[in-house]
Amino acid sequence: MESIFGDECETVIADARYGFVAGLLKDIVRKPPLERVTLSDQIDMLVISRWLGLPLLLVVMYLTFQFVFRLSEPLMNWISLVFGQLGVIASGIGGWEGSLLAEGVIGGIGSVLIFVPPIFLLFAAISVLEDCGYMARAAFVTDKVMHKIGLHGRSFIPLVLGFGCNVPGVMATRTIENTKDRITTILVNPFMSCGARLPIYVLLAGYFFAGHAGLVVFSMYAVGAAVAMLMALAFRKSILRGTSSHFVMELPPYRLPTLRGILTHVWERGRLFLKKAGTFIFGVVVLIWLVDYFGALEPVGRAIAPIFVPCGFGQWEAAVSLMFGFLAKEVVVGTMGTLFAAEEGVLGQAIATHLGWTPLAALAFMVFCVLYVPCIATVATIKSETNSWKWPVFTVLYTTATAWVAATLIFQIGGLLLG
Amino acid sequence: MAGNPNSGKTTVFNNLTGARQHVGNWPGVTVEKKEGICRWKSHNIRIVDLPGVYGLTAYSPDEIVARNFIVEEKPDAVVDVVDASNLERNLYLVVQLLEMGARLIVALNMMDEAASRGYRIDAEGLSHLIGAPVVPMQANRNRGTLELLDEIAKVVNREMQIPQLIVNYGREVEEEIAKLERHISAAGELARKYPPRWLAVKLLERDQQIVEALQTSEHG
Repeated sequence: MESIFGDECETVIADARYGFVAGLLKDIVRKPPLERVTLSDQIDMLVISRWLGLPLLLVVMYLTFQFVFRLSEPLMNWISLVFGQLGVIASGIGGWEGSLLAEGVIGGIGSVLIFVPPIFLLFAAISVLEDCGYMARAAFVTDKVMHKIGLHGRSFIPLVLGFGCNVPGVMATRTIENTKDRITTILVNPFMSCGARLPIYVLLAGYFFAGHAGLVVFSMYAVGAAVAMLMALAFRKSILRGTSSHFVMELPPYRLPTLRGILTHVWERGRLFLKKAGTFIFGVVVLIWLVDYFGALEPVGRAIAPIFVPCGFGQWEAAVSLMFGFLAKEVVVGTMGTLFAAEEGVLGQAIATHLGWTPLAALAFMVFCVLYVPCIATVATIKSETNSWKWPVFTVLYTTATAWVAATLIFQIGGLLLG
Repeated sequence: MAGNPNSGKTTVFNNLTGARQHVGNWPGVTVEKKEGICRWKSHNIRIVDLPGVYGLTAYSPDEIVARNFIVEEKPDAVVDVVDASNLERNLYLVVQLLEMGARLIVALNMMDEAASRGYRIDAEGLSHLIGAPVVPMQANRNRGTLELLDEIAKVVNREMQIPQLIVNYGREVEEEIAKLERHISAAGELARKYPPRWLAVKLLERDQQIVEALQTSEHG
């Protein structure tokens, strides 16, 4: 049977089906004599043009981040203020109950709720870009660049989503049909610095690099993205060898997004974060308070700390913060706050005095935080999305190794340069 | 609820089910499964939102999930949401669903966009040609939802039969299909589940999943 038709059999069948459809169309659709150039086509002449496409994408990305962070800043300040006040009231109770309520419960809820504005706003911005049809163009425009690192345009959206949270970022790789393309996109996703890591940069850059904080924070994102690209390229040349698949990319017409559609998307993604915040992160913060209260944190921290001496942050407090960061990145700053019993506003100062960090050590610590093990929720998502233990375990190991090497290089080479 | 990506499928689904939705995963694969309940004239209609697909091949998990659901769960009705401004590609899925013997209703969505491009679509004519109801809609304005529910009710209550669509694949292919169909009908179990002609076509398309299923059913 196959010998008669050879490879053409599928084609013959598909052609016949399309022929049938063409026949249907002829009977039921009357098209205008001259196909009009639609508004969508006109916009696309600019948006996906060879010269303007990429610069325009960068502008859109920049505006998106501006929108998200500018708008969320006052909201975050407000939440911080409210919880600060609540904490003051709670510690008035006194005793261990007051401490648990103020530092554990209220501090815990506050340290999580503070990320609701940036994360929800980022999801909202991404939904608008998706619903109006721009994201499909972004995938198209980046396709050529992505091919250079062994991926393709469809990997772009999952990577951008990673800036919000790596969990939806990893889940969004479902649209990638080729398994190797998909695994590669999943493996490098944790390097896309998620919203939960932002407070670390804001805190440390704000204190140690006052005046250049914005630049330093931005460069953390750039470091993450650059490492993601390098790693993707490395994977495509080694364990996930192969050429990235080519496909026809669909460009849906531009549409005005509806408020309902955006709210639905924001809720679908944001609710995952709220769920994690309400249960997991909150539990972790209370747990840290408990362990700390009974004096068990320090020995654990001292056991791990020597590993980080070459990186420039070999203090037990840093080790403990990073360890709890595996549970949720939001916790890194919160742990330091608990350990030094310092409010957000004076935490930078407290870190400098207690740990004796130089700006170089702070920089190495930030880079380590960009790159090291993704939070446990992301690891769990990688497990369920790849249906195996192999890839999540591999992710944990290789990201942490990468982070250690990068932080050590920065601290050692930086130390030589600065003499 | 089936349809191409970007056809407004999710909007139609939301219009029908409102907030009564449940999100989970399809067993064994990481494709999202959305379900909802719609109350309509004393009916409780359970609606399952299938992944957006262009065809029903075995190449992607989405397409396998979509077609297995239709074949194995035998839903009382399948609504294919079609982007009227992109008819050619969308009808390709309509044709494949009808070939499978799905009890199909076509939700002809985005009629406004088609009109703004100057297309004039004869929905009744289409319904006549394919033998399935066709409902013009504009889901983003929630237009056509009630008409769609009327058609769903008719199909679910068996007031309307949807014939299996037969596409003519040309003399050579048709001869092969006929031969395979006889062979398949004799093979038993699988042929009772799937329409034999569809299985024959899938075999000729060298559909990996169907080839394997037929091998195990023959040996077992």
